[in-house]
Amino acid sequence: MIFYKRDAPLFIKGCCIYFGCFSMATLTRQDLNFGQVVADILCEFLEVAIHLILYVREIYPSGIFQKRKKYNVPVQMSCHPELNQYIQDTLHCVKPLIQKNEAEKVVMVIMDKEHHPVERFVFEISQPPLLSISSETLLSHVEQLLRAMILKISVCDAVLDNNPPGCTFTLLVHTREAATRNMEKVQVIKDFPWIVADEQEVHMEEAKLIPLKTMTSDILKMQLYVEERTQKN
Amino acid sequence: MDDLYLDNIDEFVNDQNKIVTYKWLSLTLGVHVNTAKQMLYHYLQQKRNESSGTPLHATYLVSGKCVENGSTYHKVSVVREDKLDAVKAKMDVTISVHVYSVQRAELKDSSPLYSTDYDAVKENLKNCNKYSAIRCAAAVPLSSSELQRAQEKALVPPVEKEISKPGFNENTSATSKPSAKQPAGIMGMFASKNASKSQESSKEVKTEQKEDFSLVREQSKVSKALKVESKDTRNKTKRPEVVDSDDEKMLSQQKKRRRIKKPQPDSSDEEVVPDSPPVPNVHTPSPKKQVKREPVSHQEVSITNIMTEKGYVSESYSESEEEPESNSQAKDSSSLKHQKKTSAAKKPTKQPSIMGFFQKK
Repeated sequence: MIFYKRDAPLFIKGCCIYFGCFSMATLTRQDLNFGQVVADILCEFLEVAIHLILYVREIYPSGIFQKRKKYNVPVQMSCHPELNQYIQDTLHCVKPLIQKNEAEKVVMVIMDKEHHPVERFVFEISQPPLLSISSETLLSHVEQLLRAMILKISVCDAVLDNNPPGCTFTLLVHTREAATRNMEKVQVIKDFPWIVADEQEVHMEEAKLIPLKTMTSDILKMQLYVEERTQKN
Repeated sequence: MDDLYLDNIDEFVNDQNKIVTYKWLSLTLGVHVNTAKQMLYHYLQQKRNESSGTPLHATYLVSGKCVENGSTYHKVSVVREDKLDAVKAKMDVTISVHVYSVQRAELKDSSPLYSTDYDAVKENLKNCNKYSAIRCAAAVPLSSSELQRAQEKALVPPVEKEISKPGFNENTSATSKPSAKQPAGIMGMFASKNASKSQESSKEVKTEQKEDFSLVREQSKVSKALKVESKDTRNKTKRPEVVDSDDEKMLSQQKKRRRIKKPQPDSSDEEVVPDSPPVPNVHTPSPKKQVKREPVSHQEVSITNIMTEKGYVSESYSESEEEPESNSQAKDSSSLKHQKKTSAAKKPTKQPSIMGFFQKK
């Protein structure tokens, strides 16, 4: 049900086991694993979502994408190794932030040829304070919510204007407080440095806000909306 | 009927930006599928006549007979509106065309169509056939004693029947017809919540180790003539490549066609697994096992028509396999048990019985 092909990075396989164990345990926030579980689920989801946005918004030609299965539905994932590696490395670095609940937003910025942002897909994340979760409903409920988010991304074409050709994308993380200081100390992956984002990537002029989907669950609250530049061409 | 439904559909499509498939509509509004199809058609007509507001896109389900390489196929496709005429022209005889879905966005692939139906069907699992046009008198839920017997049976032999196909289902009508026959075996699994929950959890662990493309598991129930052994989960290397190349071939051959995996209400991925032993960690399966895939043609008799279908059968064999693979009757099994069985089969001294293996634990 939740699996990738064999190239899947380790953290995804780890999460599969979490889903298998859920039905047997009641997890509390004090559990060492709790933050990790949420981070795993979220990073898995973000990876799928990013690939899907790349497909739906035609950032890359559709030939590099391949149907795979996630949350029991087909999704499009890219086969390009460097692209996949970039996305995985990024999320690998984001994961510790999510684990400590320091990541406020993960943003996927789509930029035109002049590196001006045309669209920003913003995933706002928050982890509600929770003492314990009942594991029975958790598994399929979260999966259902994530499935709905994926579906909403698939139809976001209807509410967005077309992008100009030759767009690229980049991933930004907005952290709470001073988490970035720790980021520099902990370079999780070598040769994959994080830099403070440019102002022009973070703020977009003449932005329209288009909400896509909100999900609320015991362990995770996420909002997805798009900031779109009014004049795209 | 009054026209309130038009407003409903309008709300779904325009305000909520949903994909409204006929199946989803029928389950949501509680109407027969044929009524839902007509509703969608009328809605489309009305909106198109108004020629104002947001553009709508539609997909259609076309079925008909076509001749390829000398043999006649009954083909069922879900096609986008712009490809509809081309697909109809290709068919010798067009048997039926109806609206499959209406949405605002122009869909690039068929995945969201499947997603839309998935949750709706899952919620109505017990009566998903209520509004269906397909009926089978033999499809009734199992009684609890039958259910128990089925569960015990499933524990014993680890042979697993599975037809793995590339992502597309060749023939949607074939799957929707057998679905009426299967509920007897699978709906029974839902008799108790606890049972299904444990199956689900064991299933996740199991499928973590298995490949995908086991979506069309229900085919195995119908074509009993086909027997497949479970595959080795470690030898994933062979399968993805083979399957992907087949996927590509199918994609290129069938550019205009869209295949849909109809969400089988009674055989979505959670139910097929019986109770497995409580230990989810499976240790190394037999290293000698290899996975072989071969295309198999099999005949499938459905309610109204006979069609030939090419399926891909994955077969795993082991040189040291001692027990005869004669368990074609076993419908459900878990690969975990199969691995345990084959590792036990390597003992040269005696031929261990299956129950003996379990008792040793």
